[in-house]
Amino acid sequence: MPRIIACYKWVVDEAYIRTDSSPELDLEYADKKMSDYDRNAIEAAMQLHEKYGGSVAAITVGHPDDTKGVKDALSRGPEKAYFINDPSFENLEPAQTAAILADVVTAKTEYDLIICGEGSSDLYAQQVGPRLAELLDIPCVTMVSKIELAGEQLIAERKVDDGIETVSLSLPALLTVLPDINSPRIPGLRDTLAASKKPVIEIVKDELSGDFTPCLQVLASFKANMERNGQKLSDEAADIALLLDTLQSKGIIARGVK
Amino acid sequence: MDFKLSEEQELIRENIRELVKKYLDPIAVEIDESSRYPAEVIEQLAAGGWMGMPYPVEYGGAGLDYVSYAMVIEEISRSCAATGFTVSCHTSLASGPIFNFGNEEQKQKYLVPLAKGQHIGAFAVTEPGAGTDVGAATTTATLDGDSYVLNGIKTFTSNGPVADTFVVFAFTDKSLGGKGLSAFIISKDNPGLKVGQHFYKMGIRASQTSEIILKDCRVPREDLLGKEGQGLQIAMSSFDHGRIGIAAQAVGITQAALDESISYSKQRVQFGKPISKNQAIQWMIADMATDIAAARFLYSYAAFLKDQKQPFTKEAAMAKVFAAEMSTRHTSKAVQIHGGYGYIKGQKVERLMRDAKITEIYEGTSEAQRMVIAGNLLR
Amino acid sequence: MAGIWIFAEDYEHNLELIQGGKELAQKLAGKIVVILPYNSGNDEKAHDCIARGADEVLYLPPLTEDGDFMACIPLIVAEALQEKPDIFLIGSSLRGKELAARIAARLNTGLCSDCISLKPSNDNQSLIMERLIFGGAAVQRVAIPTRPQMATIPPRLFFPAAVQEGRTGNIRELPPAPPSKVKILGKKTRTHESAALTEARILLCAGRGVEKEEDLSLVRELADLLGAEIGCTRPISDEMHWLPEECCIGLSGIQVKPELYIGIGVSGQIQHITGIRDARIICSINNDENAPIFAVSDYAIQGDLYKVLPLMIEGLKKSK
Repeated sequence: MPRIIACYKWVVDEAYIRTDSSPELDLEYADKKMSDYDRNAIEAAMQLHEKYGGSVAAITVGHPDDTKGVKDALSRGPEKAYFINDPSFENLEPAQTAAILADVVTAKTEYDLIICGEGSSDLYAQQVGPRLAELLDIPCVTMVSKIELAGEQLIAERKVDDGIETVSLSLPALLTVLPDINSPRIPGLRDTLAASKKPVIEIVKDELSGDFTPCLQVLASFKANMERNGQKLSDEAADIALLLDTLQSKGIIARGVK
Repeated sequence: MDFKLSEEQELIRENIRELVKKYLDPIAVEIDESSRYPAEVIEQLAAGGWMGMPYPVEYGGAGLDYVSYAMVIEEISRSCAATGFTVSCHTSLASGPIFNFGNEEQKQKYLVPLAKGQHIGAFAVTEPGAGTDVGAATTTATLDGDSYVLNGIKTFTSNGPVADTFVVFAFTDKSLGGKGLSAFIISKDNPGLKVGQHFYKMGIRASQTSEIILKDCRVPREDLLGKEGQGLQIAMSSFDHGRIGIAAQAVGITQAALDESISYSKQRVQFGKPISKNQAIQWMIADMATDIAAARFLYSYAAFLKDQKQPFTKEAAMAKVFAAEMSTRHTSKAVQIHGGYGYIKGQKVERLMRDAKITEIYEGTSEAQRMVIAGNLLR
Repeated sequence: MAGIWIFAEDYEHNLELIQGGKELAQKLAGKIVVILPYNSGNDEKAHDCIARGADEVLYLPPLTEDGDFMACIPLIVAEALQEKPDIFLIGSSLRGKELAARIAARLNTGLCSDCISLKPSNDNQSLIMERLIFGGAAVQRVAIPTRPQMATIPPRLFFPAAVQEGRTGNIRELPPAPPSKVKILGKKTRTHESAALTEARILLCAGRGVEKEEDLSLVRELADLLGAEIGCTRPISDEMHWLPEECCIGLSGIQVKPELYIGIGVSGQIQHITGIRDARIICSINNDENAPIFAVSDYAIQGDLYKVLPLMIEGLKKSK
């Protein structure tokens, strides 16, 4: 009967940056969303819960205004949420987030398994999960695509560059999961309406005890410039012939068929 | 006054958008062409609790407010107006009267499976000779022992071919005129009820429409909905609710036309520039967006009044007539923006233009809406 | 001499990081220490690293019985606490990223993940690093106040370091690792499709504009003529399952650096663009004039791919 904690982050929707035409990276009016990979983390927790029982709680660190994120997370199934918030918790670097989570998880929760997404869809630093595991001193497996439980033992498949490893470890443990582990369900209407009635444990900065100074200083953030001076061509034969000729004269493609 | 959606409403909108994008968008063209009922999508909607939105949880619903319900109908219709209407007709016209006028046994027996989406509902009032003039109906219900015996033909019954539960109107006493009309709940399993001719329509083709033939159809007395003679009141009340859904459907159709027009006009190049740079196109798009916003506020206001338990008959009629008329006007403009391409089958705007027209006709024509509005103002 | 530490799972990648370390060492004086996996007494690679710029090579002990690579983390942490490196660069393979984050947590230091640019600050006291955020839509410039300054580095940010004559260095072996809490039960080795893609000189990428699976034959025909590899966007692998997941190009798939990339019906979601940003020439075929990929293309063909591909195939056959 595993007690599972699913971590999630409520992030700026990167689609906004694409549609905003200003040259600056201005996120004041950006929409926020559940970090894509954390949908998989919560879904993985719910599927384990449906199979093995136990409980699922969601946990997040963020700005006090991120209450929609709490409802979103709860509409995906967890029975309660830990909402650690402070106005200064808006742009944390991964070491800070992991330290705050470790502080709260140790002081306020009982758990057998912690599940995180493989990274967040805003920073995608892929650090919080493994850092949290080290701070809690529990075994950690990242990039997991399959999970099974057998009592206190957990069997997982993890992706590495040259293949898939099957690993075993004992609980308590932390996993980060890949998007291909599941297809997150779309919350139904009743799930969303029920989410508002579930318990939310708010934890404010004063209740925390650690040192959360950043180990990574952000000097600047700006829009990526990947634009190239594209030459426009049509799908007419003359244009395609011109393109092939240009690429051949540059030595990019061979003259004559290989 | 608050024009902002709540966090909950925003999440509901995001979820229905995601569901529609995943299950309905990919088949919308096909089900229009083949007039096919999208049973697999209705199943998904039922599983997510979207088939009994405004009804209390104890009756299998989700306990949603009417403003949010209408917003969901708009979002479904934005992808496929036929499916949006199937849900709206099932929810407002068929399930609505059972919730509003049914007794506890009727609610348990009929509303619960409807609200859960296990059953589909239809609403049979129109007859070949009785459209807007409901009182001209000729279907009769004669009491015989413990049951009524119904005889007559209903036409243009939306959801008719797929419904499990029908709300049917018949005269228990024709001599009383409108006050002699009564409403009955009839199961599709009743041997006296037969689905007649299917209609193949100009638009909302995936919505299923047919005749319903009642021949010596015995309906047990306990399935009389409300009281004898309450039929006209039940029908009118159902239309009041339904019209909010149709207004939302029309807004969804027009929003889709706007989405398509913006995207197409930015990519269609003529005379060396995208046609969106032309003022003629810009004005069409500006007018479209303005009318959509106005119609959305109108239906939201009617739904808000309904949620506040205030009278909303006039406002629902205003929302419907305005939304429907702007929808036919602007979907035609959207085809215009698309030029020849917009006239080709498979193009979304072509379907939208055909789908829009029905919103001016069913659940009370635009003319009938004006009668309702004027009647409320001049009494 | 606090030093620059280097570790990468893949040997080629390791040589690239040595080059990166050498460039930094010119400004931020320090010895270069390379960590290599256990190599059963064969010092060929260690000597090669030294010849290419390493001052010291540390061998990890043999894998523990359970085979978990991460068992080496405490050893590296203990060594780092003693030697106090100033900089620690780790190749950003999947294992590398986990290893880096866990070591950074143990050392209570900052880590720049998937760093795409690193250079010394003006006062040569620290590193100024850049990384992509928001799926590649924005860049974050960071510095690390704590030590060591850690970063994971994607492949091919540097050329492999060249051999220099007459270089010498130490070779040392780290003590055995304690047993790991994670045990490896088995392993399925993956086919190296992704390796072919990351190395490809010419790469064709199939996107959602390709209407049917059969139509991939058109893409294959062109690929054969060009000697190109074929990759795809996420919908093609994940939703349509027309090509294996290993062929998916983008931020969460593989990142490629071909001489020529041809996007075929690729719209250019930011996550995909991020995976091809280092291609030398980007050519794209799309019927939507507003397709985001056109903004990042050198050759933007607005038109029907079903017209363009046959023209290309015919043109290439003719130019024989």
